Amino acid sequence: MRLRDFFSVDAIDLDLSTETKDETLKKLVGLFHLDEKSEGILFKMLKRRENLGSTGIGRGIAIPHCRSLVVNRLRVAFGRHGAGLDFKAIDEKPVHYVFLIVAPPLEVSNQYLPVLGKIAQFSKEADVPERLAAVENAEGFLQLLEEKGV
Amino acid sequence: MHDQLETLLEMQDLHMQRRALDEGGVRELETGLFEMGAEQAIDALEAKITELELRLGKSNQERFRHLISTRQRAVVPVLAGVCYGCFVAVPTSWAADADPNDKLNVCQSCGHFQYYPS
Repeated sequence: MRLRDFFSVDAIDLDLSTETKDETLKKLVGLFHLDEKSEGILFKMLKRRENLGSTGIGRGIAIPHCRSLVVNRLRVAFGRHGAGLDFKAIDEKPVHYVFLIVAPPLEVSNQYLPVLGKIAQFSKEADVPERLAAVENAEGFLQLLEEKGV
Repeated sequence: MHDQLETLLEMQDLHMQRRALDEGGVRELETGLFEMGAEQAIDALEAKITELELRLGKSNQERFRHLISTRQRAVVPVLAGVCYGCFVAVPTSWAADADPNDKLNVCQSCGHFQYYPS
């Protein structure tokens, strides 16, 4: 299983200009091109998950995630925010890199947890924040995932 | 989308989150990587589920409770015209509606509430 296989170029936004955590979640959910109601439900679920504890894991990275029936397969998106966002992260520092993961309640190949784990593993590598900052386009982001062997 | 279907979807998602916190892998990740307080999270999820239940009509409330306790899922997707609760084809007239989620559809075969993902 390779992480890059789960990302599509149109679900990568390297120039987020949102002002809040909520706006950012909405923007990233929008990259999945669901209908308006489904987007609303998904946003609500992600917010609920955030209310249980921030998914900002530190070092400028957040991994919001949830399961919901409004998606029929595992979906992932990535957003980069130059200025940084208040995500109430564990280290209380601004978040610049957001990986969004959403999966249906039941999946045939059960990829949700492994994908979440791989993104966590990737995020823990020492040079990743710096490398993500330097990525120039969506292809570059995908190449970085490949280079890191995740 | 039918308002009761929206509530049912939300409740089911919350049940999934609640149940996931009993699973080793998810609980480990949530409490380890994300430093979530699992017991507090469970209490919060259960309180929200109870609150949402009050929005349902009595028969939907009973059906939801029965399905979630006996079959783990109350709402199932309909994909390619097939109910994923029982794998029986749904009547074509249902799927032909402009937005089938505007009605609260119950599978005639398995009794699950149905949802048509976009």
